[in-house]
Amino acid sequence: MVSRRGIPFTRRAARAPGDALTLAVGLALAALLGVFVLWPIVEVVSFPTLADYLHLGENGRWLRATTNTFRMMVLSTLTATALGFLYGYALARAGLPARGFFRLIAVLPLFSPPFTLGFSYLLMFGRFGLVTHGLAGLEVGILGWWSLWIVQTLTNFPYAALAVERVLAATPARLEVAARNLGGGGLAIFRTVTFPLARPAVAGAALLIAIYVLADFANPLIIGGDFPLLATEAWYRIDGWGDMRGATLVAATLLPPALFLFVLERYWVGRRAYAVITGRGSALADAVLPRPVRGLLLFACAAVAGLILTLYFGVVVGAFTRTWGVDWTPTLEKWETAVAKADHVANSVLYAAVAGAAATALATVAAYLVDQKAIPGRRLIDFVCVLPAAVPGVFVGIGYLLAFNRPGVPLAGTAALLIAAFVFANLPFGYQVARAGLAQIDRNLADAAADLGASRLRILWDVHLRLIFPVCVAAWTTIFVSCVTNLSIAVFLVTPGTQVATFSILGLIGDNRLEAASALTTALLAVTLVVVGLAWRVSRRARIVPGVIGG
Amino acid sequence: MDKPHVELDRVSKRFGPVSAVAEVCLALPEGEFTTLLGPSGCGKTTLLRLVAGFFRPDGGEIRIRGVRVNEVPPQRRSTVVVFQDYALFPHLTVFENVAYGLRRRGVPGDELRRRVREMLGFLGLDAYAAASPLALSGGQQQRVALARALVVEPDVLLLDEPLSNLDAKLRTRVRTELKEIQQALGKTTLLVTHDQEEALSVSDRVAVMEAGRIRQVGTPLEVYARPADRFVADFVGVANFVAATVRAVTADGVVLESPLGTLTAPGGRSFDPGQQVTVLLRPSALRLWAAPGPGRLPARIRSTSFLGALRRHQVKVGELRLVVDQPLGEGEAPPPESWLAIDPGHLHLLPAEA
Repeated sequence: MVSRRGIPFTRRAARAPGDALTLAVGLALAALLGVFVLWPIVEVVSFPTLADYLHLGENGRWLRATTNTFRMMVLSTLTATALGFLYGYALARAGLPARGFFRLIAVLPLFSPPFTLGFSYLLMFGRFGLVTHGLAGLEVGILGWWSLWIVQTLTNFPYAALAVERVLAATPARLEVAARNLGGGGLAIFRTVTFPLARPAVAGAALLIAIYVLADFANPLIIGGDFPLLATEAWYRIDGWGDMRGATLVAATLLPPALFLFVLERYWVGRRAYAVITGRGSALADAVLPRPVRGLLLFACAAVAGLILTLYFGVVVGAFTRTWGVDWTPTLEKWETAVAKADHVANSVLYAAVAGAAATALATVAAYLVDQKAIPGRRLIDFVCVLPAAVPGVFVGIGYLLAFNRPGVPLAGTAALLIAAFVFANLPFGYQVARAGLAQIDRNLADAAADLGASRLRILWDVHLRLIFPVCVAAWTTIFVSCVTNLSIAVFLVTPGTQVATFSILGLIGDNRLEAASALTTALLAVTLVVVGLAWRVSRRARIVPGVIGG
Repeated sequence: MDKPHVELDRVSKRFGPVSAVAEVCLALPEGEFTTLLGPSGCGKTTLLRLVAGFFRPDGGEIRIRGVRVNEVPPQRRSTVVVFQDYALFPHLTVFENVAYGLRRRGVPGDELRRRVREMLGFLGLDAYAAASPLALSGGQQQRVALARALVVEPDVLLLDEPLSNLDAKLRTRVRTELKEIQQALGKTTLLVTHDQEEALSVSDRVAVMEAGRIRQVGTPLEVYARPADRFVADFVGVANFVAATVRAVTADGVVLESPLGTLTAPGGRSFDPGQQVTVLLRPSALRLWAAPGPGRLPARIRSTSFLGALRRHQVKVGELRLVVDQPLGEGEAPPPESWLAIDPGHLHLLPAEA
């Protein structure tokens, strides 16, 4: 038999009545992508004149921001990836006690606002920090580039940890046992078996981390001190001086390296990743590592987990403290501010929920059209759907300001503009998840439905949408979290009427009202976790295994 | 003469540069069980998909009851496919899987429930109506797929290697069931398989395919005993081929000169003296004896496999290697140095290939 995947499927037979509709949807999708993904990019890049670009080298502040940005990117990527590898390796191979706990710690930073760690670092090591002031009695904060380095490492190591753990868990430890059987020593096995297996995952995670560090806005803003980076510099240009030309120049500088890393990740590493062997981790996992090594790994993981927990704990404690660093009396009074700003939290949740739904729906439509090969130019659509993953949030914010915040554009100054920015910035994630979900569905299922008399729309509903529903819930959840915790885009697009929680928190930190900021952050974290928990239950109830029959 | 139920008239299908089906002509008679038999990649599944409507032919015409259906999508054809991997909807119960086609046809609730129940009962699946198909064994899944196809009362049943995912013992049982169901319902059926035993055992007619073309259509006995060419002979059953030259054509048959001596094969085809031919000797046309006799040739047994009802010997006669099947009922295993006898009634002549 020719394998079914190998048979080029002609959809023409079943296509006739739906063709016009498909084409219309395809065109609408292309138009949306053009307006909301490509146009803002063009607006930013084309805003400065050619002369502006040519004179960049003479701009000392720009030069400093660029050097700093790349230094921070390289340093943080190295340490975050190394720490992530260690952590992921320990999770998969060291037989850690309370593995679930350690994994939860690794996931926690992914579910909290990106500046949570930066903020709590400020609480611990700032001018009135618990450690610096309270314990050491210092009057100065220890902020600056290496603080940022630590925070970026802690914020981003989970991407590498989870990627490495996933790969190793899917790769039977039997390979390592076999290598040992053949006479390999511990280090030799690591060098010749374990590391090569995990290498594509590590490379992919490192590139993603580099993009995140490159584009990160919140942490540098809070603890960067006087350490100008491109992302924060773009904001200062607009916020401080109303210098749109300077801001676009800085933002435009961010795009090429981000695009380069993105293309590298997607088309080079992505292709090289080894096919993950299905199946659960092996019972032999523990046998591989000698006891002292396991002890060391456990210690390292515990230290990292302890540090992260302490930082989160600091945020929560801060919410119930009278004056951080001075008066430690427990109090609820700071929650008044949080309650007063409850509508900002409500806005955050509402906008994120709507953006999550819209992004998931759009991503599913796009993924379906591309998956079914139903529209012309699908390679281009595919590329534009994932492109926003390479565009830093600051860039998106400025791009939307330029493209849509002008008289005559109905979106200008509305929550819809912020939501649109959220939708398209998060489209890539939803799109990739939906593509993966659809790819898992055996094509014979659709053929069987057609054969039994289902129309094309009916098949879309009965087979594709029903089967990828759990995947869509997962995509919605992730996009929701990403939007609720977003600052880099929101900072440019909020208006007095459409304030979101992250922006309020930033304002409170700026006013040195750290306790109120803690309260609001805690509230936001709690709301996020509740929503995530609910979504998880919904998707669990609907969980089915697509493609198992006739996989 | 009845018109064939389904007719393929010089049907072709290309995928890019690959010609998957090339000018195939085939007729499926009403109520008969026809099998497309061929090796991997011979185009048999493509042919089935063409009949089902998943592909549109690049050339030729497909007719069902005399009506051209080339452009008719699968939704509106009276054919239903049972897929190789069953393609059961994993998110629906067994009942809902079977009911799916009836719902799409707008069959009202009461009738729908009655028909689904009947079909589940007919295939012995009553107990699993509420189960997820994922919870069933391979054989049960296969029957759900069959029930889902049969319940819509299709004109033509298309079976795409429906047994290939079952283990050997189950496969034999299910194919017997399949044959009985087909006979009970009298459905025109097209089965696609690469398993010659399956094809011979269930079919009324077998079409042997190779490289996108049909090499021979006939009853199982015809394709087995009188294959049209060497490919069919080799693919359908075990074959010994012996090159020979025609000496004379007489009333008794065709007299041949061969490495096995002078043989006389039944006539039936026109052969000319001096022509090179290939003699097909099925293993069952040969016998081993412990003692010499008239026409027997000395044979050395190289190896023997025990296959239950028979012993299969690999023997060497001179420089020729032959396969000989010896029914178990014929007593003791022959000694290593035996004597080979040929049953002249079971010789079949093929044109020699270039």
